[in-house]
Amino acid sequence: MKILSIVLVFLGLNVNAQNAPLQSDSTRLLKEVKVIGTAKRKIETELKMAVSVDEFLASSENISFIKRGAYAWEPLLNNMSSERSTLTIDGMHLFGACTDKMDPITSYVESNNLSTIDIKSGQEGSMHGATVAGSIDLKRKSTPFGMEKKVNGTYQSGFEFNNNQLFNLGNASYSSQKFVADGSVSFRKAGNYYDGNNNKVNHSQYQKFNSSVGLALKASPLSCLRVDAIYDQANDVGFPALPMDLWLSRAIITSVAYKKLFEEGLVKVWDTKLYFNAIEHYMDDTTRPENLVHMDMPGWSTTYGLISKVNLKKGNYSSEIQLNAYDNLSIAEMRMYPQDRNKRTMFAYSWPWVSTRFAGLSMNNSLEVSERSQVNFGVTLGLNYNHSKYVEFNWIFHPGASQSKTRILPGLHASYQLHINEFDFSVGTGYGHRAPSVSEGYGYYIYNSFDRYDYIGNPNLKNEVSYEANASAGFTKEKMGIQAKVNYFYIENYIIGRILSLGSPMNYQSVGVKGYTFLDHAKIFNLSLNTHYNFSDDLRWKGTLTYAHAVDEQDQTLPFIRPLSYQTSLRYVKNKISLQTALNGDFTQNNYSPQYGEDETPAYVTWNISADYTFSFKKLKPVIQVGAENLLNKQYSTYADWGNIPRMGRNIFTSLKVNF
Amino acid sequence: MKKILFFLTALCFVVASCTKKKTDYEAEINTVVTEHYEFKEAVAITNSGYAISIEALNGTFYKGYNEIRLKITDKQTHIEVKASNVTFLPIITTANGQTISCPHSYSLDYQADSQYYSGYAVFTKESKTNENWDLYLSFTINGQSYSLKQNISVKEQTNKNLSMTAFTGKDEEQYFIAIVAPQKPKIAENQLIAGIYKNNKPSNPSSGVFPDPSQFSYSEVSDYVLQLDPRMPEPSMGNHSSLNNRDLIQRNDGLYAGVVNYTMTGNWTLNFILLNKNGRILKGTEVSKDFTPGVEGAKSDLFIDILF
Repeated sequence: MKILSIVLVFLGLNVNAQNAPLQSDSTRLLKEVKVIGTAKRKIETELKMAVSVDEFLASSENISFIKRGAYAWEPLLNNMSSERSTLTIDGMHLFGACTDKMDPITSYVESNNLSTIDIKSGQEGSMHGATVAGSIDLKRKSTPFGMEKKVNGTYQSGFEFNNNQLFNLGNASYSSQKFVADGSVSFRKAGNYYDGNNNKVNHSQYQKFNSSVGLALKASPLSCLRVDAIYDQANDVGFPALPMDLWLSRAIITSVAYKKLFEEGLVKVWDTKLYFNAIEHYMDDTTRPENLVHMDMPGWSTTYGLISKVNLKKGNYSSEIQLNAYDNLSIAEMRMYPQDRNKRTMFAYSWPWVSTRFAGLSMNNSLEVSERSQVNFGVTLGLNYNHSKYVEFNWIFHPGASQSKTRILPGLHASYQLHINEFDFSVGTGYGHRAPSVSEGYGYYIYNSFDRYDYIGNPNLKNEVSYEANASAGFTKEKMGIQAKVNYFYIENYIIGRILSLGSPMNYQSVGVKGYTFLDHAKIFNLSLNTHYNFSDDLRWKGTLTYAHAVDEQDQTLPFIRPLSYQTSLRYVKNKISLQTALNGDFTQNNYSPQYGEDETPAYVTWNISADYTFSFKKLKPVIQVGAENLLNKQYSTYADWGNIPRMGRNIFTSLKVNF
Repeated sequence: MKKILFFLTALCFVVASCTKKKTDYEAEINTVVTEHYEFKEAVAITNSGYAISIEALNGTFYKGYNEIRLKITDKQTHIEVKASNVTFLPIITTANGQTISCPHSYSLDYQADSQYYSGYAVFTKESKTNENWDLYLSFTINGQSYSLKQNISVKEQTNKNLSMTAFTGKDEEQYFIAIVAPQKPKIAENQLIAGIYKNNKPSNPSSGVFPDPSQFSYSEVSDYVLQLDPRMPEPSMGNHSSLNNRDLIQRNDGLYAGVVNYTMTGNWTLNFILLNKNGRILKGTEVSKDFTPGVEGAKSDLFIDILF
C-alpha cells in the first residue's frame, strides 16, 4: 500500500475514479491526497461521456464562455475575461497567438490527453502566477509506474448529427516498474451546424488533430524523469461571429520534468520542470467574399519557462512552494491588400513583438487546527516585465510611453474551513495584482467584432488590484447535499476599453477606436447553489443555480455577466443501462450593458437527454451512448454569444467507448 | 529514450520554423523606399584653374527638394579656395524656348566647419531631351569674379516621400511645397519637414543681361502655416487617418516642420491647407473626417502623396 500511495502521489495522483472512488481507499492515501490538494473530476459530463474540453469546462458552475462559433470558446472564470485568469497546462504557461482570442489555451488540448481540469477561484489560484479571477489548470494524463495491468487504453468514437461531427479519440499507456509511456491521438471533423430554425450557420465548421506523448523513466526508487509533448493542429475552423476564419493553427507544447520524493523529513516532493511551447495562428478571410479588404493576420507566440515546486509536510501543517518563471514573445501582424493588388500592401503589427517575462514565488499553506477546522493561507510575489520591440507603434497613441515596464505583482489569500457534522463552512479573503495582457498593454488596432471597435493598448496602465471575499456553506447527508458559494471582487483600476475621440478606425467594419483604460473600480459578485438528492441508488438528481452581478464605478453593468442561470439533471442507473436528462437555461439578461455593445438576451431553456448501455464483447466492456442536446430544437443564443449568433439546434449524438 | 528526445527536439525545430515567415520589419519599409544619406558629387566643372564640385544626395539631382554642397578647389594644388559672393541659379529652357527657374538659394552660404557652400534647389521638372536645366554659377576669388554655366540632368524622384507640388494661391502668387523629410517614413510619429517657397514677381524689367537674377527670384515664405490632415486614400481604408499630427510651422532655418503619424505602411495623402501670415487661406480645402469604408478618400485641392 505504501508503495502504491507513493506511486500515486508521484505521478500527480492518477487515481482513476472509475476504478475506485477515493473515499474507499485507505486513510494513508487520503492524507497524501491532501498534500497535493487536488480534487479530481473525470473529463466527462453528466450527460455526455465523450465531450470536448469546452463542453467539459461548461459543466463547471463558475465557468461561462464567450462563443464565437462552434470551436475554441473563451472561458470566463467568475464572469471575468480570460486575461484575468491564469490558464495553464500542468502549470505551464501558454499564450494564444490570436489577437481576436480565437485560440484560448483550452483549444490546444484534447479531452483524451487530460486527466482533469483544476479550477481555482480568485487568489487561491495564484500558485501559477498573478491572477484576479483565479486559475484553470489543465492536468495531463500521466500513468503511474508499476500498474498491475501493463497496457491500458481507451478508444472513443462518435458522430454528432447536427454538424456531422465525427471524432475518433484514442489513448494508450504502458506501465512497468521502471518505465511509463502515455500516448494519445485524436481527430475531430465537423461541418456547419444548424440552428433551432434549421438554418445553416455558415462558417462554423472545424477540423482538429491532436496527439500527445509522455515518457517517464524511474531514475531511482524515489525519483523520475518525464518528457511530455503535445502537438495540436486545427485547420479550416470557421468563426461565424467573426469576419474571418482560421486557416491553420498549430501548437507544440513540450516539457521535461524531474521529480523526487522524500520519505523522511519536511520536504516530501520536489518537482522541477522546464518547458517550451510555440503557437502559430493564421487567419483566413478568403472564404468571406463580403469582405471589402483581404487581410493576412498571422500571429505567433513562443514561451519558455521553468516551474520548480516543493511540497512540505510536518504534522498537521502542509505547504507547497512554487517558483515560476517564463518568457513569452507575442507577435501579430496585419497586412491589408488594396483593391488594386498591384499597389503597395498596407502593413502594421497588432502586437509589435511584445515580450513578457515573469518570475514569481508562491506559497500555499494549510494548517489543520483541529479535526474539524483548517486554515489555508498563501502568499505570492511576482515580477512582471514587458518590452515592446517596435514601441513606435505604441507611441502613436501614447507618445513617450516607456518601451519596457516592470511591475511587482503581490498576492495574498487566507481561508478558514470548518466541518461540523453534516455542515461545512468556509470563509476566505484575498488581495492580488495582475499586469495588463499583451493586447491591453501593447495591442494596436485590434478589431473587436462584438462592439465593432478597434482596440488600442495602453502601456501606461496601472496594475489591476483585486480585493476579494468568499464564503461557502454546505450541508451533506446520506441522500442529499446542498452547497452555496459566494464571492465578491472589488477590483481597482479595472481595465476596459473606452471610446477614444482620437484617431480613426483601420478595419473597415469598425465604427471607431477604443483605447484600453481603467475604471476607478468595478465590483463583481458571484453566487452559486449546488444541490443533489439521491432518490435511491439508481436515481439521482442534481441542480445548480448561478447568479452574478457586476457593475462599474458608475453602477453601470459590465459586459459578459451571466444572467441567472440553472442546470438540473436526473440520472438513472440500473445494471448496464443509464439514462440521463438535463435542463439548462438562462433567465432574461435584464442587466446588460449597451455601452459595451450588448443587447438584451431573452431567456432560454434547452432540454437534453442521453442513454448509455454497457455490453460485453469478448473480454471488453464497451459502452455505447445515444443522446440529444436541445431536443426541442429551440432557437436561442446566450448572453455571451458573440454577435448573437444562434446556438446549435437539435443535436443527436452517438458515441462508443472501449477500454482495454 | 535518447531517440525520442531527439525526435522531440527535431519536432520543436520543425514547428519553430513556422508555416509562414514573419515579416522583416526593416526590409518591409525598404521595399518601396530607398533612402540616400550620402552626399556625392553630382557635377564637376573646371574653370580658370578652379575645380568646382557640386554634391547632392546620391550624386544625383532629383525633381523636388535637393540640398546642395558646393566646393571650390585649386585645380593644381587640390587645396580648397576661399571664394566670396558664390551664387547659384538653375534655369530650365522649356520646349517652346521659355526660360524658367525654380525655388533655390541664390547666394550660397559658406559652412566654415564643413568647408563647403550650402544651398538648395527645388527642381520642378525632370530633364528631358527638349527641356534642359542649366546651372549659372558665379563667385569671386581675390577680387576677380568668375561666372559659368553648366548643363545638368534632373532625374525623376523615385522616393515617393520626397514629392513636391506647385500651385497658384488665391493671392495670384506662385507657390511651391516640397517635402524634405522624412525620406523613409516609419509606422510611428515622424517629424515632417517641408520647404514652402514663392516666386517673387520681378518689380523691374530685365536688365538685358542673361540671366538677370532679379527675373528669377524665389524665396522661402515666412510665418505661414501649413495645416496638415494625413489620410489613406485607398477605398478599403475608408478615409483612415491618424492622430497627434501637428501643422507645419517655420523653423529658424526657414524650413517648415510639423508632425505626421503613419499608422501603417501604404499610400498616404498629406492634405494641406496653406495659410499666409495673416491667416488667410491661400490654397487647400478641408477634407471630410468621416469614416467611409469602400469609398476612395477625397483629397484637399492642395496635397502631396506619400508611399512607403
